[in-house]
Amino acid sequence: MQQFMDGIFLGSIYALFAIGFTLVFGVLDRLNLAHAAVFSAGALIGIEGVTRLGISIWLAIPLVMIAGAVMGILIERIAFRPLGKRHDAHFGGLISSIALGTIILALLQARYGPDTRRFPPEAFPSTRFEFLGATVSLLQVVILVISVSLMLILTWVVAKSKLGRGMRTIAENPHAASVLGLNVNRITSTTFAISSALGAVAGVLFTLNVNAASLGLGHAVELKGLAVIIVGGMGSLPGALVGGLILGLAEVYAVNYVGSSWRDMVAFGLLFLILILRPQGLFGARKTREV
Amino acid sequence: MSEPILSAEGLHISYGHVDAVRGVSLEVQTGSLVTLVGANGAGKTSILNAISGLVRPRAGVIRFKGEDITKWPSHRMVKAGLVQVPEGREILAALTVAENLSLGGWHRGKTLRRNVDRMYERFPVLKERQKLQAGALSGGEQQMLAIARALIAEPEVLLLDEPSMGLAPKIVDEVFAVIDQIRQTGTTVVLVEQNARRALAAADYGYVMETGEISHSGPGRELLADEKIIEAYLGLS
Repeated sequence: MQQFMDGIFLGSIYALFAIGFTLVFGVLDRLNLAHAAVFSAGALIGIEGVTRLGISIWLAIPLVMIAGAVMGILIERIAFRPLGKRHDAHFGGLISSIALGTIILALLQARYGPDTRRFPPEAFPSTRFEFLGATVSLLQVVILVISVSLMLILTWVVAKSKLGRGMRTIAENPHAASVLGLNVNRITSTTFAISSALGAVAGVLFTLNVNAASLGLGHAVELKGLAVIIVGGMGSLPGALVGGLILGLAEVYAVNYVGSSWRDMVAFGLLFLILILRPQGLFGARKTREV
Repeated sequence: MSEPILSAEGLHISYGHVDAVRGVSLEVQTGSLVTLVGANGAGKTSILNAISGLVRPRAGVIRFKGEDITKWPSHRMVKAGLVQVPEGREILAALTVAENLSLGGWHRGKTLRRNVDRMYERFPVLKERQKLQAGALSGGEQQMLAIARALIAEPEVLLLDEPSMGLAPKIVDEVFAVIDQIRQTGTTVVLVEQNARRALAAADYGYVMETGEISHSGPGRELLADEKIIEAYLGLS
């Protein structure tokens, strides 16, 4: 039970990270590989807010979301929009987002140095309690609540709101969206802002959970995030959620039953297996694009 | 003559090194039906797309109600009342008929519901199939859906690109009947068509295009009566 709980907590963070990733992919058919740098930036900005400015974690989290949203808008403007009209825009955006991600990491290093940073221990009350025979910290509960509520809100936005209707229209047919009078640039920009806000918050939650943030933080989750959205089904929000939880559980169980050095091996092996059994991913209803 | 609702002056459109439109000027009077006819690749669609803000002309000025709209983004055109029904219809196949219609009213929050109901009255077949995925409709029904979707945006000028393309003759009759109804309600219509005879017969004024330029223009029936034009530019269709 303890492992199950720990797996769910870790998995919900992966899911939050992956859901931002998959949102941009699902709507725009673009992979934003600067997403991991936003994750690192979110963690480091959050730590700076709490340690240096002395603000509470509850204020830091919304501030990090705003910072993340701004980064998302910049990423779209700098790495994606200028290449949007090229016929190889998918590939071009992919490469330029890697470049921009590297630049963001370099800027973070210039500001924060290469050392590992942490939230101060008093940043969060270390309350623990028993739940169904497992020890659960208040922090873990909060992480789960934040992740799940953000994901629920996003799912609602995509499914029901006018913005979501715009996103889905652009995903299906960007040309028709323009003809119908949708402001494609603005909706695209907003999508990036939401995606990066979620990625940045995921960085804070992850750092709170393991209590250490380094520049390489993002790289560790980047591949996992990619694996999660592929296993979940590219562009599928529930897929990212379920994929994230599976990965979190697999890692925790692997550490407990096989040994920590086998963690990634077991986790990725499982994802690999899922893909062999279900190549389109768990929720991959996505048809191949028409040419 | 009164001030035209829509005009283009010295329009040049190129894609890379290919000149699609070379120095085209045209005028559209309020409430009229103006048609652009000519062979495939003559530049008709390019002009319509420039008016819709979907391609940027290399040179020239487009005016709508006296205002220079040449550099406006497409969403602003739609909001202002210039709405296109694109070639190939571009309905959203995975969305339902009702969802497609409501997308037409992206900028028309308050009147959307009423406009949709009005379209259901006008096109009963769309009402019957409102819950169906739009991709399941027949070609003719999809064209009606595309036109209805554009009308929900309350256009002052409706731009129709090849509305009869790929449709059976009987359905083409229906499409032209709908176009006639639309202009009787006072909406200005710009119609791009390869079916030149049908288009000119319906139009107040026509422009004949050939390889990026306007070769002839005049009242639709006069162009239609000129056998030389019909033979030289419009083929036997």
